[in-house]
Amino acid sequence: MGALTLARAALLCATLGLFLAPWHGLQDGISEVTAWPGGSAAPLVALLLDGSRWWLWPVALLLALAAPALLRGRAGAGLAWIGAGLVLAVFGAGYAIGLNGLQWGWLAPLLGAPPAQPSLGWGAFLVLAGGIGLFAAGQAARGRFGADAFVAFLVCSCGFLLLLFVFLPLVNMLSAALYEDGRLAPAAFGARLVAPEAWSLACLSTHAGCGVVWNTLLLATLTAVISTLLGLAFALLAVRGGARGKVSAGAFRAMTILPLITPPFVVSLALIVLFGRTGIVTGFMWDWFDIPRSRWIYGLPGVLLAQVLAQAPIAFLLLDGALRAISPSLEEAASTMGARRMRVFCSVTWPLLKPALAASFLLAFVESLADFGNPLVLGGDFDVLSTRIFFAIAGARHDPGRAAALALLLLAITFGAFALQALWLGKRRYTTVTGKGDSGIPAALPAGLKLTCAAVAWPWMIFTAAVYGIILVGGFVHDIGRGDLSFTWRHLGTGFEVGWFDGPAFIGSAWDSLFTTIQVAAISAPLTAGLGILLAWLIARQNFPGRRGLEFMTMLSFAIPGTVVGVSYIMAFNVPPVELTGTALILVICFVFRNLPVGVRGGIAALAQIDKSLDEASATMGGGAFQTLRRVVLPLLRPAIVTALAYSFVTAMTAVSAVIFLVSARHNLATVYIVGRVEAGEMALAIAYSTVLIVIMLVTVLGIEKLVGRARLGRASAAAPPIRAGA
Amino acid sequence: MPTPRRLLATGFAVTLTALLPAAASAQGNLTVYCSVQEEWCRPMMQAFERATGVRVAMTRKSSGETMTQIRAEAANPRGDVWWGGTGDPHMQAAEENLTVEYRSPRMSELHPWATRQAEQARFRTIGIYAGALGYSYNTTELTRRRIAAPTCWADLAKPEFRGEIQVADPNTSGTAYTMLATLLQVMGEEPAFDFLKAMHRNVNQYTRSGAAPARAAATGETLVGITFLHDAVTQKIAGAPVEIVAPCEGTGYEIGSMSIIRGARNMENAQRFYDWALSAEAQAIAGQANSFQLPSNRNAPIPPQAPRFENIRLIDYDFARWGSAAERTRVITRWEREVRAGAR
Amino acid sequence: MSDVAINFEGVTKAFGNVRAVDEVSFQLPRGALVTLLGPSGCGKTTTLRLVAGLELPTGGRIEIEGRDVTGLSAAERRIAMVFQSYALFPHMNVLENVSYGLLVNGARKPSAEAEANAMLKTLGLEGLGQRLPSELSGGQQQRVAVARALVLRPKVLLFDEPLSNLDARLRRRVREDIRDLQRKLGLSVVYVTHDQQEALAVSDLVCVMRAGKIAQMGTPVELYDDPADAFIADFMGEANVLQGEVLAPGRIALGGIPLDVTMRPHPSGPAQIAVRPESILPQPEGAPGLPGRIQRAAFLGQTREYEVETAAGMLFVVTPAASLAFAMGEAVSCRLDRVIPLRDVKG
Repeated sequence: MGALTLARAALLCATLGLFLAPWHGLQDGISEVTAWPGGSAAPLVALLLDGSRWWLWPVALLLALAAPALLRGRAGAGLAWIGAGLVLAVFGAGYAIGLNGLQWGWLAPLLGAPPAQPSLGWGAFLVLAGGIGLFAAGQAARGRFGADAFVAFLVCSCGFLLLLFVFLPLVNMLSAALYEDGRLAPAAFGARLVAPEAWSLACLSTHAGCGVVWNTLLLATLTAVISTLLGLAFALLAVRGGARGKVSAGAFRAMTILPLITPPFVVSLALIVLFGRTGIVTGFMWDWFDIPRSRWIYGLPGVLLAQVLAQAPIAFLLLDGALRAISPSLEEAASTMGARRMRVFCSVTWPLLKPALAASFLLAFVESLADFGNPLVLGGDFDVLSTRIFFAIAGARHDPGRAAALALLLLAITFGAFALQALWLGKRRYTTVTGKGDSGIPAALPAGLKLTCAAVAWPWMIFTAAVYGIILVGGFVHDIGRGDLSFTWRHLGTGFEVGWFDGPAFIGSAWDSLFTTIQVAAISAPLTAGLGILLAWLIARQNFPGRRGLEFMTMLSFAIPGTVVGVSYIMAFNVPPVELTGTALILVICFVFRNLPVGVRGGIAALAQIDKSLDEASATMGGGAFQTLRRVVLPLLRPAIVTALAYSFVTAMTAVSAVIFLVSARHNLATVYIVGRVEAGEMALAIAYSTVLIVIMLVTVLGIEKLVGRARLGRASAAAPPIRAGA
Repeated sequence: MPTPRRLLATGFAVTLTALLPAAASAQGNLTVYCSVQEEWCRPMMQAFERATGVRVAMTRKSSGETMTQIRAEAANPRGDVWWGGTGDPHMQAAEENLTVEYRSPRMSELHPWATRQAEQARFRTIGIYAGALGYSYNTTELTRRRIAAPTCWADLAKPEFRGEIQVADPNTSGTAYTMLATLLQVMGEEPAFDFLKAMHRNVNQYTRSGAAPARAAATGETLVGITFLHDAVTQKIAGAPVEIVAPCEGTGYEIGSMSIIRGARNMENAQRFYDWALSAEAQAIAGQANSFQLPSNRNAPIPPQAPRFENIRLIDYDFARWGSAAERTRVITRWEREVRAGAR
Repeated sequence: MSDVAINFEGVTKAFGNVRAVDEVSFQLPRGALVTLLGPSGCGKTTTLRLVAGLELPTGGRIEIEGRDVTGLSAAERRIAMVFQSYALFPHMNVLENVSYGLLVNGARKPSAEAEANAMLKTLGLEGLGQRLPSELSGGQQQRVAVARALVLRPKVLLFDEPLSNLDARLRRRVREDIRDLQRKLGLSVVYVTHDQQEALAVSDLVCVMRAGKIAQMGTPVELYDDPADAFIADFMGEANVLQGEVLAPGRIALGGIPLDVTMRPHPSGPAQIAVRPESILPQPEGAPGLPGRIQRAAFLGQTREYEVETAAGMLFVVTPAASLAFAMGEAVSCRLDRVIPLRDVKG
């Protein structure tokens, strides 16, 4: 796409926004459109002419400035300034003048006392899109972005969206740490950061609890280590364990899907049913072995168990892949040099596994930091940062400044983990699989190691099966918490009753939230996958200033705990100019930007397997970036796209911490409903609803997997690209 | 490839329809933030819709979360009425000017405790139900341990209850704060803190949610759970082996409240709901929904299972003093320093 | 319009602080096959990518066929390129690959496929249209890549090390095919390679690059016989670079021994002198020439190779197998036919 085409399209778009579409948001819905071209549905041109929005004249003037050159067919670098001016004018005016009139007092001499200005609507949206288009066209005309206007537009709009929906809310929220009672208070900020509630080491000397930072670090480290070791045991059995290992591999691979599709809280509930003081296992131990009933599950052990249940399968997936990627000839080479099996394992296999071990450790570590549901239900007196942040905001003592400071600490720990990983792995690359065929037989495990792995793996498998068995059964018996195991449809009926009054009526109390959830997940999933893959393509394949920044911002939302995101969204998007709270749109946006990193990472990994010369070949044949993307890159990325699609659909259905503040009367979500049930102590209904969700997600994921499988079939032999282990 | 394109188009259409707010009905709309349990919220809203034709959009969240939301939305309120939930945050919202004054014509039908609370809040909130504080214990566990049944607050400090008491954390739960305030009013500040320190040794967990101890006592996860009595009643009716205790020294109570949010978009319907929710027939819904608080309307039927105030030694709870933010912070900070930090 | 296919004017491409291409200027004539030759990292591939538009220059000006393309993206330059890896789209069959360029340039599918089929036939690939690239041999893949480029009738065709993935036997055949095709179609071709033999074999012009700059440009014969400096002399085939002195036109001194030789004009005085191995003929001791002793001798079938210790240094010598043979340790006298006094002493 040429710069001129883009600039003309952008101008057209902005002009439509100026003359046709309602400038402000329609508060009472589409019915207000009837007022057009006056009233609340007036386009900007009408508002300018009647003088009620005179401060927006620059918007019209800038558009008029861009028009002549474009009509004559010239797209110059000056368009960049016009585009930037448009965006600044719209947002500047939007922030300067809000619902209560002038917001920025220092502008009073210039603007006087303007009337209230409601949120931006479709007209403003079109003008903004046009402004970004003009900006991009100007940049492309200057030779930036490989002189490709399409790429320029994608980068600029993605950058704009990330700034608006990731960076802005976060900065907004974190700046709360600097304020006390509405005044700037750096001292309070410092005090919050080093508060004893975060850093106290009292648990070492007395019975009081330790600082929440230490708790968080301890939990995350333990979860990461245990998950990684468990995953390793399973992976070793699966890849090197001989015939019986294959069986365990199959079983465990089937289980890897479970943590993904399990709604929050449910594993914790099952653990309570099993190991609580009146739990099934506890009772058994008491009756048979006189082991006294205790409450050990509440606190670190319980949370740890729940988190490991979720993370171990993921560690297995990572390590299994890495272990398969280690070329057997390396081990054979070591053996021919006379090394014994254990020695080979220690000196060759283990070091080659290091990157995957680090990746698995880091992933589990970060997931543990962000986990909110399990510490909430099972934490007992054991507090971690994510729950502490939640209660600093939603608890009886409301203190956004404290929450923001704690959120900063959590962010710092997350980034620290990433930095450590980078340091440890350094620049070393462990490439063992090349395009060349490698015919070797994987070395068998040393006997002692194999025994250890089996001794760890099998009990854990049984344990996992028991936990999920409880979940399966719990929704269909009277009260699993008290051991009343008679079958009933009662809980399912409460949630999902369907009646018949002049047509089907969804009476059950869970229907509304279920429908909203499916709708929101179904809308956000393709957007997430699409945007994620686009961003991956931009980051991996295009060279442009600010690429690192763009990448950083996409990764940022992964590191921010959900609770922080939720509150930051409600703080940033409740008032004009961007007013989204209470709509389904804010849920969609929240999901899209939270799940974006997965799509981006997946896309980048998949793109690394696709030789860049394919893109370049298309370009030299006259395929612009758009054609290349559509005809070459996207077809080759299909598996990655489908995976991203499945993942974002499923996470949208199971996320809770970010959206608990964002759901509204009209748009409630399944997980928030479940949290409510748990809060009210209605475990059975919560479990029953979770079972319904699990079934829906299982069907979706399996369906999609089947689809990908078929998609891969025809292309399997296509390129034999180098795979980089530990990249 | 026509299929992806069609998919995309459909996706767009679905997106658009999903994002457009639903059309207004003839009687208008009302958005209610509901802070009691779902089973009660839902029939309540359905009944109001049937009675008036107003379309109600309802969100159920705990009172803490609702308070957060109302605060965050203060510049541009989304909700109209906040119905239910313990009185303290309602009082706080009134104090922070987040809710508006409204004098319902039904005021005269209410119990004096309800009107008194309204007066203290300058009519920015009003009581819709009341529930006394107390505790419940698991009878199975009690007999197993051969402990004498507790009847007073003081019993809970006895050594035989070591590790057997569960109560919420006042940092996160209004219920727990009500307990603190109650004990301070029953015993006086210093003896109350001595008692709390003694009881601290018996506490196995400070839960975050106020109703959790009732559930824990019902399943036997703990022997004693300190909660509002109606939460315990709900468990007992569900068949749990629990006994409910209204402590002999006297106890405090919460007033479940209702407020109209400042800047409500549907003010007229909000007031309609307010008046209706104070009526005897609206308050009768509670009992049918397994909620056993005392209704604030004198003519409303009291659910037979509800713990009657006549049988409970109720203290003269000073909502104005103990509900104020300053006193609250002071008490919680002292509790944290002197009780929570102690060894168990 | 001139006879210039590609014109570089002071083109620079910097990656951060590294100047991969440093103020390069040259003009490539139309209808010629020009090779960019140089060791890895010399900037030859970057130069090619600058022509293609896959990199945009940080400074300077690029014209293709008289059109300023400096700021144009690859898609807008109307060139075609054959990649080292061939870059065949793995998800498209051969026919789809070849008609791809026509389709993205707006051709209708039937006409594009007809043209593509015709091109496949020209290159002897008929009947393979429905195959996937992975089902082809290396040589076939290479030809598909060429067909895909040629079908667009580009003004300029670029090759990036097109033979490096082929085995030695196939390499010679394919490079001749490319040369024939280029001559037949009168294409302007830029060809990147690091293999000097390949460069000498196919090129009209060779452009040797070093450290981002053009070291020398000329016909293969010019570069071989008349290298500008030691770097080129060494890079374009083997050369003995010796320290010596030009005494007069046609007379030099090596190791203090005056010799009569064929040489290009060079000012008198000390100079580096390059001697090609095949320009040295060992003769029995006593004959006029540079005396020395055979240190190593090898028989290679078509040729014999010697290393001869002389007063000017060690000489590497290649003689036809039919010529007189010497054994190790034998004393010889080396006749130097033709020497190349080097201009640049730095190299």
